[in-house]
Amino acid sequence: MQDEYAISVKDLSFGYQDTLLMDHVSFSVGKGDFAAIIGSNGTGKSTMIKLLLGLLIPTEGEIRMLGEKVQGPTHFGKVGYVPQNGGSNASRFPATAMELVMSSLYPQIGFLRFPGKKHREAALLALKQVGMQSHAGTLMSELSGGQQQRVMLARVLVNDPAVLLLDEPTVGIDAAAVASLLEILHTLKIERKVTILMVTHELYSVAPYLNRVLCLSDKNFAEDEIPEGILVHAHAGVHENTHEHVHCAACEHAHDPGHCSACEHIRENGGAL
Amino acid sequence: MILDIFQYDFMRRAFIVGILLAVIIPCIGVIVVFKRLSLIGDALSHTSLAGVAIGLLLGFNPVLGAIAACLLAAFGIEAIRKRIPRYSELSIAIVLSVGVGLAGVLSGFVKNTANFNSFLFGSIVAISDFEAALVIGISVLVFLAFLFLYKELFYIAFDEQAAGLSGVPVRLVNTIFTILTAITVSVASRTVGALIVSSLMVVPVATGMLLARSYRQTVILSVCFAVTSTVIGLFTAHFAGTTPGGTIVLTGVMLFLLALLAKKAAGLAARRKMKGAARGDK
Repeated sequence: MQDEYAISVKDLSFGYQDTLLMDHVSFSVGKGDFAAIIGSNGTGKSTMIKLLLGLLIPTEGEIRMLGEKVQGPTHFGKVGYVPQNGGSNASRFPATAMELVMSSLYPQIGFLRFPGKKHREAALLALKQVGMQSHAGTLMSELSGGQQQRVMLARVLVNDPAVLLLDEPTVGIDAAAVASLLEILHTLKIERKVTILMVTHELYSVAPYLNRVLCLSDKNFAEDEIPEGILVHAHAGVHENTHEHVHCAACEHAHDPGHCSACEHIRENGGAL
Repeated sequence: MILDIFQYDFMRRAFIVGILLAVIIPCIGVIVVFKRLSLIGDALSHTSLAGVAIGLLLGFNPVLGAIAACLLAAFGIEAIRKRIPRYSELSIAIVLSVGVGLAGVLSGFVKNTANFNSFLFGSIVAISDFEAALVIGISVLVFLAFLFLYKELFYIAFDEQAAGLSGVPVRLVNTIFTILTAITVSVASRTVGALIVSSLMVVPVATGMLLARSYRQTVILSVCFAVTSTVIGLFTAHFAGTTPGGTIVLTGVMLFLLALLAKKAAGLAARRKMKGAARGDK
């Protein structure tokens, strides 16, 4: 049943020139899942996001987004995308938070049409959702890294997306801002059943909110086979957030924090929990 | 009386044409600057000189030759930019080289050098009825296109990929913008000069960016600064006997420096106020 999944990838292969980056990758992300793609640099995490968006065309295989085959960027508004370094790139552009969010309303406004009152209200509401309504008229360059990233999130939320694809959204922002961003994403998952797929290198902070972790290595996804160091951090998250469990092999035995061997191990070694 | 200059027909025409160009050139300039293609005006205007030379050699209106050459150059830049996206600024340098080279070679065959030279620094006070009508028509076209494509151009200038993902017809809008840029530059080359037009495209935008608190304000202020420098420049050129194109651009640079000083002064005042408030708290 394709429709059970927000994202479904079957036998996908992709490479740049002569280098094969993904070899018959298959995975799916269920509706309402909050999943992370992890893996070393150069394994193709960002490339996977671009494939899902239809910005790149796979050499083999099939991608389905919300039940429809992806053959190019056609899910305007339904699939929100927060790019890598989106906030810092936006700070080089002399636009206000409101102007940037308004621009994302394009799928609703349409070609050669002017935005109206309802569009301005929708943009303000999206900024409110991320706690940035008081900064609507502020230039992006005057916002902190965390605030810029929240505006970037508001840009995609304004279209009420069913799927959110985020490429390392926590890079370059402090711990408090990361926590705030993740709380917003968690609320979206719980209250609006938004499917979230996030590329990240910071599994430690993200883990408490996840229910899927996909590890990209050796040209394929290995769910449940997360590198040991990262797995320990993922367990830490399980303990701090009892209503969400990291979906990995070891996690299934981690219901009781006191009995998690992985976490006790890291505590003994003075690990950062 | 300072307003006596309006008794001359050519001066009235110069003001109308100058102000119209001062409105549309920054509209193009804003997008060009934010797309990080600030030198595109230079490349196009220099290539327009090759078109001027062809026009003069073959005996048709050089402005039409300039438009054709600018269109070719603009599409050439876009084509090269797509092939080397990481070094997109190289596309401008390549087309600029072709333009300068061609203009240099072809100008050697032009018999009426005075006519050719008038395109280097412009001759806003000596434009014909046909050229004035062309400027008016093109100005209306560019202004309406900028107004109706405002949000599309904003989105593409901010993030071309995101614009495509939102459904903006990026290729179509870029093509329209390329055509508008090419015809604006070629017409402006005739009036303010090929060597100066890119300054008019960039300097008012830089001044607007210093003081603006939003993208919209940047656009409005850029147009205001361009119109102000055109009006002051034309008056100064008339009374001081200087070249109008060069005087307009130098006035624009003066306004930029004044805005820079004003911003610095405002920053210092704000810092003093904050220090004062901090001392008061203690």
